[in-house]
Amino acid sequence: MSDHGGSSHGPVTRSGESADETLHHSIEAGHDGHDGGHDGHGGIGKYLFVFLLLCGLTTLSFFTYSAAWPWRDQPQVGWAFMMAVSCTKAMLVILFFMHVWWEANWKYVLTIPAAMMALFLAIMLIPDVGMRNRMVSQERALHMARGSDLKLLEQAAAEDPLAAQAH
Amino acid sequence: MTSSAVSIPHGHDHGHAGHGDDHGHGHVTLQYQPGLPLSRGKLIMWLFLSTEIMFFAALLGSYVVLRFGAPIWPKPHHVHLSEPIGAFNTFVLICSSVSIVLALEAARANKVQLAKVWMVLTFLLGGLFLGVKGYEYSAKFSHGIYPVAPRGRIYERPDLYYGSAVRGRLEALRREPKDSWQSMRYSWAVRWHGSPQGAALAGWKEPETYDRLKELDEAAETSLTAEQIAGRRQLQQIQKMVLSPDQQAFDMAVVADQVMPLPAEGADHGTDHGNPEGGHGAHGLNDVFPWLKLPAVIPGGCMWASTYFLLTGFHAVHVIVGLIVFAVLLAYRLDAKRAGMIENAGLYWHFVDLVWIFMFPLLYLF
Repeated sequence: MSDHGGSSHGPVTRSGESADETLHHSIEAGHDGHDGGHDGHGGIGKYLFVFLLLCGLTTLSFFTYSAAWPWRDQPQVGWAFMMAVSCTKAMLVILFFMHVWWEANWKYVLTIPAAMMALFLAIMLIPDVGMRNRMVSQERALHMARGSDLKLLEQAAAEDPLAAQAH
Repeated sequence: MTSSAVSIPHGHDHGHAGHGDDHGHGHVTLQYQPGLPLSRGKLIMWLFLSTEIMFFAALLGSYVVLRFGAPIWPKPHHVHLSEPIGAFNTFVLICSSVSIVLALEAARANKVQLAKVWMVLTFLLGGLFLGVKGYEYSAKFSHGIYPVAPRGRIYERPDLYYGSAVRGRLEALRREPKDSWQSMRYSWAVRWHGSPQGAALAGWKEPETYDRLKELDEAAETSLTAEQIAGRRQLQQIQKMVLSPDQQAFDMAVVADQVMPLPAEGADHGTDHGNPEGGHGAHGLNDVFPWLKLPAVIPGGCMWASTYFLLTGFHAVHVIVGLIVFAVLLAYRLDAKRAGMIENAGLYWHFVDLVWIFMFPLLYLF
């Protein structure tokens, strides 16, 4: 991606829109190779291709929900798979729909710090929020749901004692 | 990196050193040089989006730590969440992302009418997304899945606290107001006058009530469906159980299972794709008699409801803002001059799509 960014075309934009147009055209010129010869830097064909990819990827992550998914007993496999699919979809949207693929190097100035902050935010939540159930008061533990509650409910559903009482 | 962006023939960037010598050398044409080589609107939009990335990263990040830190988390079908509906909404948003980008392309090519068509389509797709979201919300609300207590009827465990909540609701059903509007006005009056006595002094009469459970008990069998007749019998047995002085925790699990059964582990995948309610085939008493509104047990349901409504709610607010932006844009002639505006609106909309791309698997499929 980086070789497309700071090309020698000199991404030049002034505040006016007309400059924007020249910018797009000058940068496009460098991308004819992978462009397949579309005139706009997007091109309807390319957008539709990305659209089909996105639909296909959504179907892929939906596939983990179907009975045919082989790792039903290991949900972590499905989670990792879905996150990988989501990241791929996000990349496609950012690169092509948001035109970042064709933008100059300024994109790194904005996206990298924001992405780092986002990551740190999530990491900082882990000790305070994510591990809060390791040490809880007795009062809280009393009201907290447990796996055994679910078992109790499933057992109740399986036994159907009301029907037994009725007869 | 943008040396060609400026044409300042004299005195490069020390404007303070002007001291009148520009009079001697004719015109100095100063041009605005952006810090980054992009238009101001787009720069602001990207800065805004980078704050939005952090906002949603915090939201999704806290969801992830809450979800994986929770002792138990409900399965999607426990909370009437339908994966196919979520997938459909994902598809709708992807389509709208394509249509807004095509609106931009059309506007750049000065195809005004075409740009408008794509923009209208984007607006409609965004509205469809919200409509589906509203339908999903209503399915949760009808099952008492709210984040907080007054309306929320979710209990974490089938314990004696749950039993007492069921008892409380059954007692309230024995004193149902005949006219709910009159009853609401009376409760406002009580609040206004500070006490029922105060309201009575001001001439307010207590609203008439009736015993809804008794009414059901006395209803003729011919006026009820087979399911309702069976439900009535179950309800009578449940009343005995929650009123019994020697109730056990397991009894409460039985009550919870009658009120709103949770689907069994094996049954919740791949069997009821077509069910728009997003749920199980099993019908609980709350489904047989929608007015019953008994508290239900969903282990982990309270935290689930809080995170679900917070995440999807913030996303829906973003969708609404996007729709407002599109409505404003539709008032303009969408030609090449407006391409910058459309691009910025599109960047925002793609970001909204992006957030949903992560929310859909995290909320529906995890």
